[in-house]
Amino acid sequence: MTTLAVLSDLIDGFGTVLTPENLAFAAIGVLLGTFVGVLPGIGPALTIALLLPITFNFEEPTGAFIMFAGIYFGGMYGGSTTSILLNTPGESASVATAIEGYEMAKRGRGGPALATAAVGSFVAGTIGILLLTFLAEPVADLAVQLQPPDYFALTVLAFVSVTALVGRSLIRGLLSLFIGLFIGLVGIDQVSGQSRLTFGVDELNNGVDVVLVAVGLFAVGEALYVASRLRHRGEDELLEVEGAKTLGREDVRRSWRPWLRGTALGFPFGAMPTGGAEIPTFLSYALERRLARGKAREEFGKGAIEGVAGPEAANNAAFTGVLVPLLTIGIPTSATAAILVAAFQIFDLQPGPQLFTKEPDLVWALIASLYVGNVMLLLLNLPLVRLWVKVLEIPREALTAGILVFATLGVYSISGSVTELIVMYVIGVLGFFMRRFDFPVAPVILGVILGPLMEAQFRRTLLVSDGDFGAFLERPFAVALFVLALLALILPVAVSSVRRVRGLGEED
Amino acid sequence: MRQSWAGPRLAGAFLLAASVAILIAVTAIPGRGGYGTAGPRFVPLIVAIGLIVLSALFLLRTWWRPDVELAQRSAEEDDATHWATPGLIMLALLVYAFALEPVGYPIATALVFVAVARVLGSQALVRDVLAGLVLGFGLFTAFTQYLGVSLPAGLTPIF
Repeated sequence: MTTLAVLSDLIDGFGTVLTPENLAFAAIGVLLGTFVGVLPGIGPALTIALLLPITFNFEEPTGAFIMFAGIYFGGMYGGSTTSILLNTPGESASVATAIEGYEMAKRGRGGPALATAAVGSFVAGTIGILLLTFLAEPVADLAVQLQPPDYFALTVLAFVSVTALVGRSLIRGLLSLFIGLFIGLVGIDQVSGQSRLTFGVDELNNGVDVVLVAVGLFAVGEALYVASRLRHRGEDELLEVEGAKTLGREDVRRSWRPWLRGTALGFPFGAMPTGGAEIPTFLSYALERRLARGKAREEFGKGAIEGVAGPEAANNAAFTGVLVPLLTIGIPTSATAAILVAAFQIFDLQPGPQLFTKEPDLVWALIASLYVGNVMLLLLNLPLVRLWVKVLEIPREALTAGILVFATLGVYSISGSVTELIVMYVIGVLGFFMRRFDFPVAPVILGVILGPLMEAQFRRTLLVSDGDFGAFLERPFAVALFVLALLALILPVAVSSVRRVRGLGEED
Repeated sequence: MRQSWAGPRLAGAFLLAASVAILIAVTAIPGRGGYGTAGPRFVPLIVAIGLIVLSALFLLRTWWRPDVELAQRSAEEDDATHWATPGLIMLALLVYAFALEPVGYPIATALVFVAVARVLGSQALVRDVLAGLVLGFGLFTAFTQYLGVSLPAGLTPIF
């Protein structure tokens, strides 16, 4: 695959995307994505899940995916706006942004904080999409050679990294994952046609849709949690955007290196089968803090622009990186990517290496639409900051009621079934208690979407090997992945044990 | 800091009981089916056993090498929680789900919007009713007329 061929494919992709109609879809996607993403407590995964029904009536997938590219970027940008102005990050990848961003907004520097987030996201997004453009096809070519044991090992690694590396307790992380795996098993078994774990409810034979799980956990769970504490806690203070709205010369001088460093951290982390945006955003924050000199050093903790620029770039780059395993191997490594799989499935498409051979036009149109969505985001959102701040002024009661209405609408549009609504509400109650006891939510989503894939590859391997479990260890690639997974599982525990023995760490 | 173990212990006990129930449901799946070594019961069995072991570990850690951080969080949550609010919201949602088809999307949505906002302490009844009606009828029109998604009309007077 030469550079020239990639460029020619990409130009064809732009040819598909750059029609007035599709540009309008991109703009609508960015606006809707930002609007929903700005709402407190709503992260990109839920934004996409709630907006899925809009594309049901699309006749061909291209327009829908162009809109989703806009929603994807809009949802992320909206989340950082909320983190900066309200200090309520919608998902863990925005937590690092909120630390310095909210402090900046407190000191009347909300404008530059939002601007460095927007431009940083644009820079990171552009570099990330460029890397994706050139990596996608070679990786997909490699992925064609992957065999069932390799796929099985990839899913195991994705599971282990999302549970072991994120969150405070390995037991709770694994419990979340296994709850997800259980939900993923409900319904007709793909291999044997056997109905499993439906507990006598016929509607469950079709399985529990990942969108339903995401909406239940993120929207209903969060709404119940907020409701339970509303009487106790005062309103979050919404900060005004005063003074400068854009980046001054000094801000740009201080931001550009963190943008690039954040991108360099975010993309590889996102692109690896371990996935996730949490780790690179925190690494970026720590890195910028350590590298800060002079004025920046004094400002860290009180609102340093580097602490917004770096993590925001890392967040966006990681999100773009996540598209590499998703599009080329077909493995979603984040909750948001898992919802994107659901978007593909609406159009009977399965992301993965076959998509490149079967639907190359669609893939390149999708990649081109990422560029368009990214540019659109910058063009629309810098001038619209005031509008998004207005959205944050919606009273909390009305907002929570509205989120529940949209959650119900989203699930009912997909399923048309009251039973599935009830299932979604029950999952919402589960989400409420998971928040209460500090269980991570993302492993559940990944368990639901990757569990069935893992089971299929597991059984396929045993089928080919005629029941010999040694087959999993015959492929060097699979063995390497298993070793990585084992390390990810053992290292954090080992490190904390050593610390305990030495009397360091664990302040309890 | 104060610690509360009741919450984590209850959660652990519930998880353990649910996991055992899942294991019992798994044993009802026929072990053979389709083709190949691992039948349709194999992976569910592993998941059910995993759930039981992990729930037991979670429960165990409320006594042995206790997870103090979690107990402190639980104590703080206990103080902050007003149970009636999420309870009433769940009730409103359940009524909403069952009323959706007989009453129709627009009216049911307007009602649930007002109900949830009131439960959450909103005092602006007129604003809530207006917002609920706009949401209910607006979304109904947008989804049924323009997005090709069918929603139940029920008692809706127009259309």
